Amino acid sequence: MTRYLASRFAGMVVVMLLVATLVFFITRLAPGDPAAVMLGEQATAADIAQLRASYGLDQPLPVQFAYWLKELARGNLGQSIFLQRPVTQALLERAEPTLYLTLFSIVIAALIGVPCGIASAVWRGRAIDQAFSGFAMLGASIPSFWFGLILMQIFAVALGWFPVAGYGDPGVPLADRLHHLVLPAIVLGVVNSALILRFTRASMLDVLGEDHIRTARAKGASEARVILHHALRSALIPVLTVVALTFALLVGGAIVTETVFGLPGIGNLVVSAVLRRDYPVIQGALLVIAALYVLINLATDLLYLVVDPRVSY
Amino acid sequence: MLRFAQGFVPVGRTARAGRGERAIASLVAAAAFALAGSAALAAPPRGGAANIAMIGEPQTLDPMASTADLVGTIMLHVYEQLYTFDANWNVTPMLAESMPAISNGGLVYTIPLRKGVKFHNGHEMTADDVLASLKRWMDTAPRGKALAKEVKSIEAKGPNAIVITLNRAYAPLLAHLALPNGFAAIMAKDSIATPLTQFIGTGPYMFKERKPDQYVQLVRFDGYAARSEPASGYAGKREALLDELRFIPVPNANTRVEGSLSGQYHFADVLPVESYARLESAANVKPLLTAPFGFPYLVLNTKQGPLANVALRQAVQASLNDADMLGAGFGDPKFYSADANHYAKNTPFYSTAGTEHYGKGDAKKAAALVAAAKYDGTPIKILTSQQYDFHYRIALVMAENLKAAGLKTDMQVVDWSTLIQRRNDPALWDIYITHSAVLPEPTLTPPQLGDGAPGWWSSPAKDAALAAFNAESDAKKRGALWGNIQSVVYTEVPYIRVGNFNSVTARSSKLDGYVAMPWPFFWNTGLQK
Repeated sequence: MTRYLASRFAGMVVVMLLVATLVFFITRLAPGDPAAVMLGEQATAADIAQLRASYGLDQPLPVQFAYWLKELARGNLGQSIFLQRPVTQALLERAEPTLYLTLFSIVIAALIGVPCGIASAVWRGRAIDQAFSGFAMLGASIPSFWFGLILMQIFAVALGWFPVAGYGDPGVPLADRLHHLVLPAIVLGVVNSALILRFTRASMLDVLGEDHIRTARAKGASEARVILHHALRSALIPVLTVVALTFALLVGGAIVTETVFGLPGIGNLVVSAVLRRDYPVIQGALLVIAALYVLINLATDLLYLVVDPRVSY
Repeated sequence: MLRFAQGFVPVGRTARAGRGERAIASLVAAAAFALAGSAALAAPPRGGAANIAMIGEPQTLDPMASTADLVGTIMLHVYEQLYTFDANWNVTPMLAESMPAISNGGLVYTIPLRKGVKFHNGHEMTADDVLASLKRWMDTAPRGKALAKEVKSIEAKGPNAIVITLNRAYAPLLAHLALPNGFAAIMAKDSIATPLTQFIGTGPYMFKERKPDQYVQLVRFDGYAARSEPASGYAGKREALLDELRFIPVPNANTRVEGSLSGQYHFADVLPVESYARLESAANVKPLLTAPFGFPYLVLNTKQGPLANVALRQAVQASLNDADMLGAGFGDPKFYSADANHYAKNTPFYSTAGTEHYGKGDAKKAAALVAAAKYDGTPIKILTSQQYDFHYRIALVMAENLKAAGLKTDMQVVDWSTLIQRRNDPALWDIYITHSAVLPEPTLTPPQLGDGAPGWWSSPAKDAALAAFNAESDAKKRGALWGNIQSVVYTEVPYIRVGNFNSVTARSSKLDGYVAMPWPFFWNTGLQK
């Protein structure tokens, strides 16, 4: 186990170094210029060059890369060009809405996806299976921005139950801020439940055909026990994987929903940074997202130990 | 100064985004608004906080550093200028006590300063603060640097006056000082730094907090020293009736619409024209149509490539059907007008000079001009972006017009950030598409009227026309002189002004006393309970 963990961590370091290198050079080699964006339409080429120099953007790329790596080794992700604050601080400010939105979404997705997937597998080919499969197809196909706007029009504009957008007025308590997350969490939950539903169904169908299920039934176990205890436990591993990957994706990937609902999340931060060519933010955010992805993958692999006694490292 | 709707694209906005002075052409309407606003000033209640939905996160909060309207709109509540514009776009004193004493043949401007004006840090404004602010503006700000070429010296004359000495008579000086975009903000001297970390001005609102992608929070400055004249446009008495202003970045235009309809936002900036009817039918919202808001224009590369040949630029101009391009860009004629004259009839700068060349899509005439220009078949590189969807749609029609005239085209669609970088390289493009606001002083935009802007237009006719215009301070004579510049633009075709477009904003019916002006402002505005 210790050896396994050591090798995984070593692999992580290599992955992070590769990500850092790729992110730095792809970002810098893309056309566009933060100085031109910041100065606006009336700025001359000389104004732009002057501002570029003040941020060190006129230095050769290898020099900039070496400097960035050096600061990275000290735990410094750099300073945002536009936000006038350290990238770490900008990321921490966005951690709260992103974390809560991701958690709520994944809970909603799992609450829809897992039971519906089980029901689809148990009543395979019946009307309920057809209905849930149709729902999954719809959930996977529906554009999240459209779904978001529809929910907004019904529940925020017409009924007034929820705010349209944002993350609360200055100084409001946490409960009020979380109230702003309900509609976007429903959007992400429904859209992502489709994948979980399909995985649960497929995994359950595999397990339900296995010998130990037949044995359990032969021993007189109730159908509920057979499905929820014997079958579900074995079927959970792929489901757990897809839930964990969805969680990881949502941390930086809920971009469209965050934009529609005006949420100051990490996905929104990355997109704004890309459009403005705020290099330090793009690099820092992508590095953190990649690290989270790798860590969540590791955590998922370790969770297998708990879920399935047959697994060992 | 780009500030138009950016559709679904989240920008801090970057782009950026252009507020303009949409309104010089609607002077009469603006005056009516102002009168209505004045009448309503007695009514607005005091207190409350207004949520103002903006198109994105401001690029910076330094009002000098960026010419993005988003920055100017927010920070004109915090900082003030020596002069500002009234409802009729006349330059009017703000921190200056009165209009300047102009001497020595228009070369020396002595500007008296108001006494008893406090900064947000409690210090009283003196000539030292004004001097330090204007020097910073002329040293670092794009607009200030452009003006600095005309300025020989600037110095304090005692604690309550400054003297600006020019190299040559330059009539637009006060308009430059008054424009609330990349503006000559007067800052407390001890807060001045680059980058700016404290935002200490004299405005009716003080900066409190910025949470990127959430809000910029301003609160009432109780020590504000208001002018005594009645409010008119940006001029006259300013009173912070609202306790708090929250400028909220809402990059998605549809979300701004829904937020207005739900009552979450008390004001929403730059809304899709398609939402106008829906907003009009809602009881709790008042849509505001500003006509004209701005103008899309095509910049032609006069330095390098096929369009360095003026005859071919004239062929391009003749080939274009400007009305079709506007229709593609803005849909309903309610939201655009195919005006050949650069300034509207009811403005001092109205002129028909050169307008016979305004594009009517005459492919036959254009083809003849193409042949006369000995066009060698090099494709015309059109640089455009979908970040502003009307740019892209205009480009599509333009490309078809050019093809009909026998020109080859090479459409290059990039993101806005890439476009504003590539346009600085004359080898990479022949035409790019952008837009601006209609400004009260013609030489303030487009930047091609100045020196060194992409397109690199330089000619003796341009220099002569601009020199005569800038040296003339008599308003009536300046109108005729602007006609000469417009004529040179039509003849030499450094840029093609396609026409004008209008913009939609919305305010809550609870927002009382709001006066519609190009850069929205919220002093003298209250919120009904």
